Amino acid sequence: MVKLVLASPIATATRGEREISLEFEGTVGQLFDEVTKRYGDGFHARIFDGDGALKRFVNVYVNGEDTRYLSGLETRVPRDATVDLLPAIAGG
Amino acid sequence: MGYVRGLRCRECGAEYPPTKLVVCDACFGPLEVRYEIEAVKEAFTRDALAHRPEDLWRYHELLPVFDEASRVDLQPGYTPLRRAENLAEALGLREVWVKDDTVNPTYSFKDRPVAVAIAKAREWGLPAVGCASTGNLAAATAAAAAKARLPCYVFASAHLEPTKLLLPRLYGATVVPVDGTYDDANRVALIAADRRGWGFVNINLRPYYAEGSKTLLFETWEQLGFELPDVVVVPMGSGLLLTAVDKAIHELRDLGQVDDGQTRIVGSQPEGCAPIVRGFEARDGRPQPVKRPATIAESLAIGDPASGFEAIQIMRRTRGFADAPQDEQILEGQRLLARNEGVFAEPAGGTTVATLRRAVEDGRIDRGERVVLLITGNGLKAPAVWNGVLPELTPVAPDPVAVDRFLGGEIHG
Repeated sequence: MVKLVLASPIATATRGEREISLEFEGTVGQLFDEVTKRYGDGFHARIFDGDGALKRFVNVYVNGEDTRYLSGLETRVPRDATVDLLPAIAGG
Repeated sequence: MGYVRGLRCRECGAEYPPTKLVVCDACFGPLEVRYEIEAVKEAFTRDALAHRPEDLWRYHELLPVFDEASRVDLQPGYTPLRRAENLAEALGLREVWVKDDTVNPTYSFKDRPVAVAIAKAREWGLPAVGCASTGNLAAATAAAAAKARLPCYVFASAHLEPTKLLLPRLYGATVVPVDGTYDDANRVALIAADRRGWGFVNINLRPYYAEGSKTLLFETWEQLGFELPDVVVVPMGSGLLLTAVDKAIHELRDLGQVDDGQTRIVGSQPEGCAPIVRGFEARDGRPQPVKRPATIAESLAIGDPASGFEAIQIMRRTRGFADAPQDEQILEGQRLLARNEGVFAEPAGGTTVATLRRAVEDGRIDRGERVVLLITGNGLKAPAVWNGVLPELTPVAPDPVAVDRFLGGEIHG
């Protein structure tokens, strides 16, 4: 099972669910398509901009690795991966 | 609500009431506090300021705390602005000032934003507070939480300088030593705070937290005789301090306290972790994240800086620049400041001094400009960077002849 972990500001688009388990294997982009099927287009609109790219302040991590250092939406999601979907907030 | 009008997204401009909102509900962009400027104008006068206590609350009209009783008063702020004649002479400049935040209650500027964030946590009755930290914020949050009698959870890299892991524990916080970088610690802290309803000062209290840092600039303005410098050099980790400096200047301008003459805002990062500087140099102006920071300036080692894009825009708009000195130049910067001005800064301070030095040499800063350096942390918190840099001390026998020999044969006194 893939575990998708969402922060509250994003989970408004998943009926408040902040942890979602899915039988899934594929890319990050395909994972988000699956979640959109389950929760509706509102989820897609919540994290993607009009050009089909992730919004600038949305970060995705696969097993703790920032997908910007991997292959972005093309990053592979292994069968038992944890995917974090979080707003970009960092300040020391 | 005092003088606060509400929150506004810095990215898309959406406006919200001043609640516990973390990021913009529409685009997840950073939120900033907006004030009723006309009302502030009435109260925020130079005469009024002259009679106020010497701490950061003297600027309370421009800080988003509604309930005075919620303040935790460790008395941060109103630190010295030191005229640095010796450093100016050493670097060949006309006028240099050092804003010395090494002397705050926990020895860094972080006591300022934390004061505001903890006050908000108390106003909202949050059960616990915390932060993700590169070191300085850990101590500041833990100390304020101790005074407020709130449980505190500090997420930091387990590989941080020992002093920076020691201090929050002494203040009674639970340190979560994350086996990874600051960015790893920040990610898990965000999830922990979100799940538990805790107030993490630089995460879910961030819009309010950021306001406290403006007081560095307000004080500088007041201490310079109600004037702004030509150039201010700001160390950058997340870039948030630089955005706060810019916001403070804007607010002073909106209040009619300063004219439109422009202060150039310069940002400095260590070469071993310079995502904002590299973004400044790139055409698209986007920060270039650093996966594995490698620098002695650990307090600036944020590989994925949330305020980087804004910081780049501000440096470009104000005709400033971004600069990334090497670690050796940073050590030399620390040494220059200590030996010329008697101020021992941590490597972040050495970074700003090194940038000033480099910029004077290549003409990015003119020798006639009035420069303020923000020195944001104390060198005693990061003593390990000096290991092996200075020669070992060999004991001298308690004997006048041995002393004379040690001093090169000269008889002193």
